[in-house]
Amino acid sequence: MLRVEHVMGFPVSVRVDEGAAEPEAAADAVFAWLRQADARFSPFKPDSEVSRLDRGEVPADEISPDLLEILTLCEDYRVATRGAFDVRLPGRGLDPCAVVKGWSVQKAADLLAAAGATRFCVNAGGDVVVSGGPWRVGVRHPEHADRLCTVLDLTEGAVATSARYERGDHILDGRTGRPVRGLLSLTVAAASLTEADATATAAFAMGTEGIEWAASREGCEVFAVDEGQRVLRTAGFPVAA
Amino acid sequence: MKRALPVLALTAAAVIPLWRYEPSLGSTSTEAAPAPTPSSPPASSSDGTVTRTVQGSTVTTEKGPVQVEVTFEGDRISSVRMLKQPHHPQTTAAVPKLVEETLSEQSADVDTVSGATVTSDGYKESLQAAIDAKGGA
Repeated sequence: MLRVEHVMGFPVSVRVDEGAAEPEAAADAVFAWLRQADARFSPFKPDSEVSRLDRGEVPADEISPDLLEILTLCEDYRVATRGAFDVRLPGRGLDPCAVVKGWSVQKAADLLAAAGATRFCVNAGGDVVVSGGPWRVGVRHPEHADRLCTVLDLTEGAVATSARYERGDHILDGRTGRPVRGLLSLTVAAASLTEADATATAAFAMGTEGIEWAASREGCEVFAVDEGQRVLRTAGFPVAA
Repeated sequence: MKRALPVLALTAAAVIPLWRYEPSLGSTSTEAAPAPTPSSPPASSSDGTVTRTVQGSTVTTEKGPVQVEVTFEGDRISSVRMLKQPHHPQTTAAVPKLVEETLSEQSADVDTVSGATVTSDGYKESLQAAIDAKGGA
């Protein structure tokens, strides 16, 4: 079963090969959840919980547990990156997108597992969660859209890539407020997409020093391409044979 | 003027990931926010904005007890911080040795592509679209 729908402004591919009795229903639940997450947590929708909170319209005791979880994750990463990753850049509204994407797609993958799926692959705008591998996950070449720069062999887990080619000017270093320089792309493989996506985004926001930062995070394997087209990766990065 | 008034219980279930990095997190002071906090826009305390601090109940996670605290300026969250965290030894994780390679270009057969596209606009021409077009199995 393969379904592709566009949610949150990016394409989401859900492929279920084995395990779920009703894969179509499981996919329905996945897309329903992602639409709900978009409606609730998008800073671009004026009536989302995030926008209302940012305008001071949500009383402190009415913030949903989900949003508190997201805000707590955001704060974790802000502190862990010493301010490079910040959802509250000066002069801009609250924007927890970088955490919301990975977090909500991981929860979507958890829905598939809960529906019994044992072999599946979710790709949400280039962020990947797989289960029941072997899966071969390519990483887009930072300069040639139709090429790969490496391939991972994964049984279970998540892969996220932050790159200049599509978000260069959208990732700002919270310490300077300026677009990040130094890296062309940075890929993180981890057990969950919550971790992989936020770590990739946060590390990218730190520039070249983000490579070592991400590499030292427990459970994260890193593949980075710097502006000099040099690859730096962790030894444990699961490169396919 | 800054006042504090506790309000609600916070659920901090999934806060597990990354404590080993921030030795400063043990602090419970709410006023002395760490320097890099650019917090809200030009919000001022002189206009009567009330700062409230809310402490959650302690939640037991698989890694130990966790408690978070949220500070509001007016009704905006200005910070979320960890009051209680699992007692990990500060594994100042040595940075793993990185492998250096030359960037290569491949066109291998893969099941899916990370970083293929971030936006719906770019999807049609992407590798991922080509893979999806081939179908599921």
